[in-house]
Amino acid sequence: MIEVKDLTKVFRKPIRGSGLSGMVKTLFSRKYEEVRAVDGISFTVPDGEIVGYIGPNGAGKSTTIKMMCGILTPTSGSILIDGTEPCRKRQQVAQHIGVVFGQKTQLWWDIPLIESFKVLKEIYQIPDADYRERMAFLGEVLDITRFLSQPVRTLSLGERMRADLAASMIHNPRILFLDEPTIGMDVLVKEKIRLAIHALNRTYGTTVVLTTHDMTDIEDLCSRIILLEKGKIIYDGPLTDLKKRFGNIKTLTLTVPAEVHAGTAPVLSPEVAVSEEDGRLVLRFDADRIPLEQVVQYAFRDLRAMDMKIAEISIGDVVKTILEQQEAEHAEKV
Amino acid sequence: MLKKYKPFLRAGAMDTMAYRFNILVWAVITVCQVACLVFLWLAVYRSSEGGIDAVIHGFTYREMISYVVLTTVFGFVTFNNDTLWNINTDIKKGTIGNYLIKPISYRGKFAATSLGSLLMMTLMFGVPLYTAALAVLGSLGFLPDLTFPAFFAHLALFLLSGLCASLLNDTIAYIFGVLCFYTSSGWGLNSLKETLVAFLSGTLLPLAFFPAGLREAVSIMPFAGMSQNPILILMMKYDLAESLRAVALTAAWIVALELFAKLLFSHAIRKVTVQGG
Repeated sequence: MIEVKDLTKVFRKPIRGSGLSGMVKTLFSRKYEEVRAVDGISFTVPDGEIVGYIGPNGAGKSTTIKMMCGILTPTSGSILIDGTEPCRKRQQVAQHIGVVFGQKTQLWWDIPLIESFKVLKEIYQIPDADYRERMAFLGEVLDITRFLSQPVRTLSLGERMRADLAASMIHNPRILFLDEPTIGMDVLVKEKIRLAIHALNRTYGTTVVLTTHDMTDIEDLCSRIILLEKGKIIYDGPLTDLKKRFGNIKTLTLTVPAEVHAGTAPVLSPEVAVSEEDGRLVLRFDADRIPLEQVVQYAFRDLRAMDMKIAEISIGDVVKTILEQQEAEHAEKV
Repeated sequence: MLKKYKPFLRAGAMDTMAYRFNILVWAVITVCQVACLVFLWLAVYRSSEGGIDAVIHGFTYREMISYVVLTTVFGFVTFNNDTLWNINTDIKKGTIGNYLIKPISYRGKFAATSLGSLLMMTLMFGVPLYTAALAVLGSLGFLPDLTFPAFFAHLALFLLSGLCASLLNDTIAYIFGVLCFYTSSGWGLNSLKETLVAFLSGTLLPLAFFPAGLREAVSIMPFAGMSQNPILILMMKYDLAESLRAVALTAAWIVALELFAKLLFSHAIRKVTVQGG
């Protein structure tokens, strides 16, 4: 279980003047600018949950993860990982967590992959039987057996990431922190990684905290999301509720005869927004307010649609909308 | 608990093996340096008032040459240490995070690596070099009678003080490495450390040559234990009681500096700002 309370991290950045004269000046008088990377956040993650920790670049996601695994010390507030503070008892917490930073590898670059696993076996003091079982499991779900004898530097990015994931799971951690595990991966590798995370969560009940910019990751994996923006949590709850906040929004994309245009088409109701995209008509409406059936009839009868596609609003659209609203609010305040 | 540091011990030993050709080149350079120093000291003794047989600050020219040769071999075998640079790289590249997420102590990792390196260096270069040096110096009559069992006790104490010297060197390198958290650059700190150690440990010159006040001060500092004391133990210039006292002082310093390093690290770690995100 992860318990985070009023967590804040403030970085002090020296303000540097530009150019040579600026550099000389900062040698003598140093002014600092305070950056609140994480600003008083609280949340709890129960055992066995997969949480998507999302937000734009610089929102404070990685900073939070680094504090939760004991690399960074919080400025204030507290973190408890299964009741233990990671910055006080780093080694004790480290024994029970696994971490992957998608941008960096933690494997030993020049030695064959299997040797890295053997080193980890010794560091985490994994008994032989457990080690064999985990290697078999990870070899299967992440498909790493084929390149175990190759040095890490010769692996492709996708192979390396799968290897890194396997390395983070080898000691059967109760909690797994994944910071952008699918970054730069192709669709097939992404798929494999998602399946592996699912399998791990089902088989061992591992709690997973995952940051990503890939909305498919979120929809596939996470039952709950925490949305972070400028160091503050702006949404924390189930994925479905987040979508509902915007109503049951659906979009109908219609192929219509050339003479039908958005401006001149007959209007059904102000609830249905009609726009034109690439020669097609797009209808956006809230299906809780106006029945889908009625809109479909309208599309075929009044707009003479020849073909249509019905889509739900994507989580990507939802997040985008929330972030845009936030920006607008900020702009108003300023 | 210590078992989990085994891979780092092995890595230290393997790295040393991997760089054995570099080390060989280094060995050639070192031999040239020793030759220069030997001729320098011969010249010093010849032109001194008492002539070649003078005793300067308690050293005859034979003892002085033995001292120079043995400290050089000792430094070569014992101070094969990358701790400071590795910490500096970990900080600069952010790879320190890779170790902080593991259930190991950052200090322990380096101690194990250095120990592995020391063991490999001693086996590969130490044993042949010490044997050769002692045989040559002994047969020239530059060393006191190296007969058993008296020499045996000194040899044992020398090995122990060599281990202490290596550990102490690693502790100091680690402390300077952790200071890189504050300076973000290891270059200046490394130069400072190298100079301090070379001067105060008696590698350049036995501490007997220092002015009285400085000599007193340096004799209670940890540095003499890193070079001068082990060699004087081996040369039997220290009797057994003095030897034991010297080893005990070094051991005490290791404990004290390790405690300091622990405090320093727990303060420095708050300064970690891992780049990105």
